[in-house]
Amino acid sequence: MRDMTEFRFSASTCQVEGELVPVAEIALAPQDGVYFEHHILLWKDESVPLSSMQTNGPRRTLGGMPHIVTVANGPGRIAFSRDAPGELVVLPLHPGMEIDVREHAFVLASHSIQYSFIRIKGLANMLHGGNGMFMDRFVTAQYPGLLMLHGFGNVLERTLRPGEKIMVEPGGFLYKDSSVTMNTVQMPLKTGMFGRHSLYLAEMVGPGRVGIQSMYHHHGSGE
Amino acid sequence: MNTYVCMYCRQPSDPSQLTCPLCGAPVDIREAVSDSGWVKQPPIRDMAKLQFGQSHCQIAGTTVPAAEFNLAQNEMIYFSHHVLLWADPATRLQNMSLRGGWKRMMAGLPLIMLEAHGPGHIALSDNHAGEVIALPMQHGQQMWVKEHRFLTATGNIRYDWGDNDVWYITGDSDEQEWHYPMGQYGDIFTAADRPGLLLLHAQGNVFIRDLRQGETLTIQPSSLVYRDTSVRVHLHLEYPRNMGFAFWRNNWDYRNIMVRLTGPGRVAVQSIFERPEGMESIRNHSYATRRRW
Repeated sequence: MRDMTEFRFSASTCQVEGELVPVAEIALAPQDGVYFEHHILLWKDESVPLSSMQTNGPRRTLGGMPHIVTVANGPGRIAFSRDAPGELVVLPLHPGMEIDVREHAFVLASHSIQYSFIRIKGLANMLHGGNGMFMDRFVTAQYPGLLMLHGFGNVLERTLRPGEKIMVEPGGFLYKDSSVTMNTVQMPLKTGMFGRHSLYLAEMVGPGRVGIQSMYHHHGSGE
Repeated sequence: MNTYVCMYCRQPSDPSQLTCPLCGAPVDIREAVSDSGWVKQPPIRDMAKLQFGQSHCQIAGTTVPAAEFNLAQNEMIYFSHHVLLWADPATRLQNMSLRGGWKRMMAGLPLIMLEAHGPGHIALSDNHAGEVIALPMQHGQQMWVKEHRFLTATGNIRYDWGDNDVWYITGDSDEQEWHYPMGQYGDIFTAADRPGLLLLHAQGNVFIRDLRQGETLTIQPSSLVYRDTSVRVHLHLEYPRNMGFAFWRNNWDYRNIMVRLTGPGRVAVQSIFERPEGMESIRNHSYATRRRW
């Protein structure tokens, strides 16, 4: 996204500034609001009120997710950024859409989007998938909304046809339509006579979009 | 008579060059200003040259840029030893004396500062993706810089450091924990006798803003890179309105810890900052404004 790109959602505007670690600056209109994980707030007008949103916290806290999501309401300006080089991904959501997002990748969502989280099923997914225990789920009901994510490095998107599969390094997974199913697949690798290692990949099955990021923590080597 | 003033370093400069010879900012670009008034500090272009005294500095690279100096006879720079990338054998390196070694060690500040004396070549770099910021300082100008953002300064800039006086305490009396969201100390640079050049390294992208007299702004403490010393800073605590959760903790524990800046003067923030610390109750703090929503 180009530096200083500006776009609208509801009656508010968002401007993306910077290219290495971009900042999302929101000019909130009265009656509009956004919610976010509180640690990504960079600066705000003093007049922008903050409130907290309930997220059924303790379970999330145990899973390493923030149990408090903060809400900022207009009118006023507020800006956000994450703590690593990468890209901001803007996903306008139409009514009736569902998107699943890797934990801690969510930057902000407009108030019309419903927020929940789903526990990733299967022990193998949790232990070897590298995605953690939860995924954030964003759902639009009657009204459209704006969802913004942060991906490390560059972000690429692919649309899968029904039944089409793609294998993704689990650390590279960023988001998917909820119609895409995700399973962890173990790939045994032989290294010589006695060496035997396993490679775990996330198998994504369409239909729907899958977003991946080019910079990730490699869970196999700890690097 | 030259009337061109660089819009980033605010010094009379040379419009016939591609980049400002004092701060390295591109001359041939339009200022990028966000709707709220933040000016994006344009990254110094690869291989841009800066002039100071009889010496010059060349910025190499754009992702993790290095500053390469060609020091003239009788000119020197000083820097923290850990940013040294390479040096000519001809460049004379020596220790710089610092006051308050014990306090610096306890506060996590670099204990060893080196001086590099010309003639010779030397290169410095910080090991984070970000930008080098060049601040040409005029006689009498003073600048506060957040700890660990300093890359180097020319010998005619005086270095000092002082308590930020932005802190809070959590925990019980037996296990009190002190927190310094902006760092315990800040670096203070003064161009006392003659103009000089100050180089900083910021992580991520950098944005600057000129606050008017009395204008205020609340920001994440660790995102502040530098400020004019005319800009006042204090702790600012915001308590979001509770929307119904009330499990196991006092509702007031949930807060945003920020700093409030009051103009006049210039401030710069970087887009990478440290995550705020935990949610323990604040027992005591430095002077702070509060807002309960």
